[in-house]
Amino acid sequence: MGNLVQAELRKTTTTSLWWGLLIPTVLVALGGGLLSGLIGRWFVDLTSTADAEQLSEMLGVTPDQWKFSLFGIARSINLATVFPLIFGALAVSGEVGRRTITTTFLTAPSRMHTMLAKMLVYALWGAIYGLAIMGFVALGVVLTSTSAQLPDAGGWAMLTLVCVLSSILMTMFGIGLGALVPNVAGVTVLLIMYFVVVENSLLLGLRIAGTPETVVGFLPNGSVNGLTGSVVVDLFLAKAGVVPEEAITFLRMFAGAGGAQSWWLSGLIFLGWVAVVFGGGWALTARKDIT
Amino acid sequence: MHDGSGLIAVQNLTKQFGSVTAVQNLSFTVSPGSVTGFLGPNGAGKTTTLRMLLGLVKPTGGTATINGRQFHQLGRPGRVVGAVLEAQGFHPRRTARNHLRVYAAAIGVPDEQADQVLGLVGLGGAADRAVGGFSLGMKQRLAMATALLGDPQVLVLDEPANGLDPEGIAWLRTFLQSYARMGRTVLISSHLLAEVEQTVDQVVIISRGQTMYYGPLDHLRQQQQRRVLVQPSDVNALATALREDGVQTIEQLVDGRLAVSGVDAKHVADVALRAGVSVYGIQEEQVDLERLFFQLTSGQYAGHAPAPYQQQQQGGWA
Repeated sequence: MGNLVQAELRKTTTTSLWWGLLIPTVLVALGGGLLSGLIGRWFVDLTSTADAEQLSEMLGVTPDQWKFSLFGIARSINLATVFPLIFGALAVSGEVGRRTITTTFLTAPSRMHTMLAKMLVYALWGAIYGLAIMGFVALGVVLTSTSAQLPDAGGWAMLTLVCVLSSILMTMFGIGLGALVPNVAGVTVLLIMYFVVVENSLLLGLRIAGTPETVVGFLPNGSVNGLTGSVVVDLFLAKAGVVPEEAITFLRMFAGAGGAQSWWLSGLIFLGWVAVVFGGGWALTARKDIT
Repeated sequence: MHDGSGLIAVQNLTKQFGSVTAVQNLSFTVSPGSVTGFLGPNGAGKTTTLRMLLGLVKPTGGTATINGRQFHQLGRPGRVVGAVLEAQGFHPRRTARNHLRVYAAAIGVPDEQADQVLGLVGLGGAADRAVGGFSLGMKQRLAMATALLGDPQVLVLDEPANGLDPEGIAWLRTFLQSYARMGRTVLISSHLLAEVEQTVDQVVIISRGQTMYYGPLDHLRQQQQRRVLVQPSDVNALATALREDGVQTIEQLVDGRLAVSGVDAKHVADVALRAGVSVYGIQEEQVDLERLFFQLTSGQYAGHAPAPYQQQQQGGWA
């Protein structure tokens, strides 16, 4: 097994894909971080005006302590993890497309060994992407916001955990779908369409129709966003003082976690999706004729 | 894990792709110590058979084993069998050396083996070039190097001469023969008998997914008897004279010539002279393996001669 893991690792390091995808990843993360900080600062400025302060006092809330940049952090992570998703999707589909899969299977004890080795190596890459995303989002947000807007050490740790976790799971989801749809262009378009367009349109539709959004929290994008979004909402509420009950729904929406369950439940739901997709890709790869 | 015999055994192998039967009840064995040619026209099922042997395609029926085991039971297949297949790809931006290092790791051989096989196939100078810039022949050599990484006991090559220049083909020929002389097994497919005639010791000829001939190439040559084709002034007189001379196999051809087997042209001419029969033409038929191969495999995908235009039957519009 160690041999195959090394082989898979070498496959990823001997081509330029890993850094070719890492560049847009860190750019999106950095941009998202910078924007998050700016929006947070803008909100603080807004609440510091005389009128707003009067209103806040009347409601008994303390908006100047609201860490609004947190929501931007969650959204930046969610957007940037599309890249490790694509990186994973090319693991099998790329090999099928370039027909290197033949040699891969000829040199492995079984196809299951190959898939397992890919899973381990890409989990590592998922973690590397996750850490890079967190690092650059953090850099961006630190550069543009005030220290009052930033989470404490525990908050950073929790954010890093869910960011890495979400990046690893997205990579796994990608491998599975790439094995199910072994066509590089096909699977890339499918994933981007689904994660960026389809589910968000559904969410928007439900919101306009006024129906409960809970269903979205059980879908792939909704659940993986819930992983980061719910942590951010928790972190926000922990330091926000009094927040009106009705506002919480909006906060979840800002965090990109509309309709989502708690962070660990969201994580489990997405893990379930990963298991289904990866399992499907695994089963198909085990059976299919390589002609 | 396996018996180490180096024996390839294909038994009642069948593969159906939907309604198309690619391979039908195919059986043959390949022994170590010889180069075996696996011959048949394009589409005869060669590639599918080899891919079933290598565990890439799942048979509909029957078995294909190496060392008495199916591919997925070999444990460390890269050490047992090396293969060069058609449609086996490379990442265009990975260098030749990196390509080999990937699979050296998978097989579990040291990295130095990568440079060794590169030298062996004559690609030592191109080790650090990306494969995308390789010619077809260079890619074929790299595929060969990949197959040799694990120093396998069995080599399976699907149309390996494709894209190779004459120098490369000559190298391949010598290489495969010496490989087999080391007591290893070499199975090499081709759609051209002439291409492998000088390389192989025995052949498996298939057509329409079925075995047409399986055995040593020499036996195949002997199967075709030499015939003398002669055009005499008097067919009956010559036939009678030849029979009296003890020649038994005489056949009259549609063009009026006699086909005489078992004797040479000189003998036939001498008999004709003694019988007072003029000979207008005489020739010895050459043993043409390629023609025999064609006879064994003909029919599949053979085009028809254009049919003469037929007039519409009366009443066609009624």
